[in-house]
Amino acid sequence: MEAFKAALTNEVEKMYKKKKAAVIVIISLVVIVLGQLMVTGIRNGLGLRTAGGTEFPILVLSVFTNTILPLFTALVTIDVFAGEFSHNNMKIILTRPISRLKIFSAKLTAVGFFVLANLIVVMLLSTLTGFLFNSASISATAIARILISYFVTVIPVMTLAIIISVFANILKSGSAVFFMSILLYIVLKALGYVFPQYSSLFVTSMLDWYNLWIADSIPVLKALRLFLIMLGYSITAFTAAFYLFDKKDL
Amino acid sequence: MDKNMEKVLEVSGLTKTYKNKRGIYDINFEIYRGEIFGFLGPNGAGKTTAMKIMTGLMRADSGDVKIFGHSIHDSFESAMEKVGCIIETVESYPYMTAYENLKQASRYYRDIDDKRIDEVLEITGLIKYKAERTKNFSLGMKQRLGIASSILSRPELVILDEPLNGLDVEGMVEMRRLIKHLSDTQNSTFLISSHLIHDVELTCNKIGIILDGKMLSIDYTDNILANYASLENYFISEVERNGSI
Repeated sequence: MEAFKAALTNEVEKMYKKKKAAVIVIISLVVIVLGQLMVTGIRNGLGLRTAGGTEFPILVLSVFTNTILPLFTALVTIDVFAGEFSHNNMKIILTRPISRLKIFSAKLTAVGFFVLANLIVVMLLSTLTGFLFNSASISATAIARILISYFVTVIPVMTLAIIISVFANILKSGSAVFFMSILLYIVLKALGYVFPQYSSLFVTSMLDWYNLWIADSIPVLKALRLFLIMLGYSITAFTAAFYLFDKKDL
Repeated sequence: MDKNMEKVLEVSGLTKTYKNKRGIYDINFEIYRGEIFGFLGPNGAGKTTAMKIMTGLMRADSGDVKIFGHSIHDSFESAMEKVGCIIETVESYPYMTAYENLKQASRYYRDIDDKRIDEVLEITGLIKYKAERTKNFSLGMKQRLGIASSILSRPELVILDEPLNGLDVEGMVEMRRLIKHLSDTQNSTFLISSHLIHDVELTCNKIGIILDGKMLSIDYTDNILANYASLENYFISEVERNGSI
């Protein structure tokens, strides 16, 4: 456990030091501001009712979780695997007294931290913006809805990250993995629209699963089914990616 | 040799073949506490391959490596606990300072504090570049940082693959002095690979010659120099005896 903690601390520190974290916060902020401008524009220009104070964060999440968040997550996941292999930096950790399973798990856990932190930042910023610009009364239910929808989104995004980690351990070039991830994402998204009856099998369709959790009556069985499908994907992809990571010769 | 001496490293039947049919074949040797073992061979002889397997960077096709009695296959963490190494090239995170790079390494060990980090930076002459990002480091400075990182945990076995790469004459002399110093004061054991015969002769007290992936001979430097005018003569005679040069 000591070794795992050390590796996790190191991975988080590396992400922070690379300044990517700062860039991502800035981009998230820009997206929120643009979203707010759009909402205000539509409301003032067209006289339509768009998003109320508590709905704005959920509106932001629906855009964020399908666009920028998977993109950032792919970038970070690729960086910790293919990026380190191609820069020859993986050697620095592999010769330390820590097993490859712990290194691999620590890297994915760090990606998990990143996803969570990114969601929290967007949640706080969008909630704040929502209340500042779209006057509405704060209710406990509204806050709970925001909290739940942001936190449950971690699960599908992490499933996606683990699947990407398989590619990041097959291909050496980070840009090739990134290209492949984007292609896969678009194909799965398209398949989800073309065959809506099978959409619950595509992980990309699950990015919106937070909607289940904020429905008036939560469809528990459906949520559980989706959770188990994601868990299945995650376990399979984790095993495959770790197998590749463990077998890798430097 | 004293039979009670502790076996630090035991390599048995190590074999690894690459797709191009090159590799190492049935490498066997042992290193005892306090020895400075020189792994001598031309470029491409298999030194780095053998060292990569010993430090877990690569998997062998067959054979085993035991460090302080722990097999690197079954108990890698215990095997590597008292090992410090530089393999092939020194790597660091270029976006971090020398101190931050060492701090990262220190987290895998118990009792390695900032004082120890300063100490190794002092030993390797990098203390004044402590807060500088390593992306601006010269090859020699990177090599020094690699050495600092490999001795940071006060390892009992230090595995150095071509440690003099990128060092100037002054750096080479210092490096040799550092190895001798660690060997004398901390009774550290060393496995050093090099293609520089003169350097191996000056630094190592036991020498293994590797050629085309096979271990040709292993002997103590004193024995060799008692029978041959120099290590170079011994090397040439061993290579000729095995039918190639």
